[in-house]
Amino acid sequence: MIPIMAWRNVWRSPTRSWVVISAIALGIWAALSLTGFATGMMKSYVNSAIENSVGHLQIHAPGFTEEYDLQKQLPPASELSTQLETLPQLQAYSMRTVVSGMASSSQGARGVMVKGVEPEQEAAVSAIAEKLVEGEFFPEMRGNAVLIGQELAEKLNLKLRSKMVLTFQGLDREITAAAFRVVGIFDTGNTPFDGGTVFVEREDLNRLIIAQADTTTVQSDLVYEAALLLNDVNKVDTVAALLETALPGQEVKTYREVSPDLELYESQIQNVSMIYLVVILLALVFGIINTMLMAVLERIKELGMLMAIGMNKLRVFSMIVLETILLGIVATPIGLLLGYLTINYVRENGINMSAYSEGMASYGLSQIIYFDVEPGVYSQMAIGVFLTAILAAIYPALKAIRLKPVDALHSF
Amino acid sequence: MAVITTKGVEKVYNPDKIPVKALKGVDLEIEAGEFTAIVGPSGSGKTTLLNIIGGLDRPTAGYVEVGGEDISQMSDNALIDFRKEHIGFVFQAYNLIPVLTARENVEFVMLLQNRSKAERHARADELLKAVGLEDKVHKRPAELSGGQQQRVAVARALAPKPTFILADEPTANLDSESTANLLDIMARLNQEEGVTFVFSTHDQRVIDRARRVVTLVDGKVDEDLRR
Repeated sequence: MIPIMAWRNVWRSPTRSWVVISAIALGIWAALSLTGFATGMMKSYVNSAIENSVGHLQIHAPGFTEEYDLQKQLPPASELSTQLETLPQLQAYSMRTVVSGMASSSQGARGVMVKGVEPEQEAAVSAIAEKLVEGEFFPEMRGNAVLIGQELAEKLNLKLRSKMVLTFQGLDREITAAAFRVVGIFDTGNTPFDGGTVFVEREDLNRLIIAQADTTTVQSDLVYEAALLLNDVNKVDTVAALLETALPGQEVKTYREVSPDLELYESQIQNVSMIYLVVILLALVFGIINTMLMAVLERIKELGMLMAIGMNKLRVFSMIVLETILLGIVATPIGLLLGYLTINYVRENGINMSAYSEGMASYGLSQIIYFDVEPGVYSQMAIGVFLTAILAAIYPALKAIRLKPVDALHSF
Repeated sequence: MAVITTKGVEKVYNPDKIPVKALKGVDLEIEAGEFTAIVGPSGSGKTTLLNIIGGLDRPTAGYVEVGGEDISQMSDNALIDFRKEHIGFVFQAYNLIPVLTARENVEFVMLLQNRSKAERHARADELLKAVGLEDKVHKRPAELSGGQQQRVAVARALAPKPTFILADEPTANLDSESTANLLDIMARLNQEEGVTFVFSTHDQRVIDRARRVVTLVDGKVDEDLRR
């Protein structure tokens, strides 16, 4: 009967109860939407990094990425390919030669990462081919071809078919420079990437870095980076472990390790959404305390009567807590449903942030954010509200049991 | 046999600031099956005495025995349990639980006593019939008249089979017809079932029906009349 009483007590003041139920539901909705936005933004950032060139996993010779020392080579590309192709989780891979160099035009010079790729392999791993705004993805042509980002094109005043010079160290540590013709300009939406990365054919790059006198190095076997795309991003850690045993002495890194900023970003976004959640729940605590306190104070006489006729303090306390929990129980499904619908809608349709796109692009974010939440967030939210309701009920319930029946009965 | 015994009961309010002596040594014995009215002018200490007998308040000095147990030194929790088992309350303002139906109100104390659902139902229906409300079992207090609510309150007070029933000005808010009706019911329960009633009242109609009238003046028993 006490649960029935609590339930009916909730509806004694329907307007008041609906106000607090709406507040809780809106709080849940806001927290879910914020989490959806933050997670969507994080995934957009991570995906764009993965798509742009990181891939899910990268293999390098140990220490290569520290200084891009060309002496630190991977095993010959033909051997590596054979080994990689045995992996069932592999969707595609790209063998790359990576050098750190300088791009210059008549307008100036910029430090860039030069990535020598095999066009077919690269197109299967990264989305660069799809992000071309001008030109073609390595068309058949004579001479050295280069793909540059929009940002670099602007800085160096380069256009399609412009010539530019790439300067870098060769295998013999001598500086080499060569002229390249711009065959395509890409725009990934990630300004730092677009301004600091150029793609050339691996064949051209290998030829240039192998010194004239060197006759032992097989040009087509020279490889410094293997970028792998898996058929399931959640398997990166398993596959990384597999590769570490299969390729002893090589460095296998997941996308998080390759770009530590991704991991930082992931954890920061999670922290930020947790802070939002706590702030929202705290605000709800005070809203609920206010309502329940009002509900207790206007029932002083009745609570005094209940204690006079034999309802003990534990039962009175439980009844007030239960009333608060019931408010949460009504509000939570409403809030979760609203949040679910919002997230689903924005997951499909995206939210256009183009008004802020310049700022966002400089952080490597795309213009359209698609909301996303992990399924566990819904249950976390429900538990959060449940705990909030209990926390908020304590003060009003203590207030109720501190009443002395003899005083309460004679109050007005 | 005395169901209630008070010995030298004193009550001082505000003992530290401006002390007000509400009771100045009340000695009283109420026998089982009595129909007693406690009367007196405002401020004479009627309500204070009733609160102390009912275990809602503790005396500053003296002691109160109910059914042979000293309740004057019991802890708050022990008093709540004691009231639940031994005392039925009827309040001036009815004080029913507004969200429960008449039957649920009557069942409520039995629920606190952990009685079975079947037993609660049967006893509630029996008592509501005894107070003439068998057709109102599913009505909530707001759907009942003042007289009907007070009859539900009497049924609720009787439900746990208490040692006695304390009624604080039970007719103060009732019209003549409802008052007469309520008094008939209480008198019948007293005579037929031997229920002990103790009232505080100003109401001459109640005083006329009482078989014992204890008059308090300035916190002392001034007169104790048995009829």
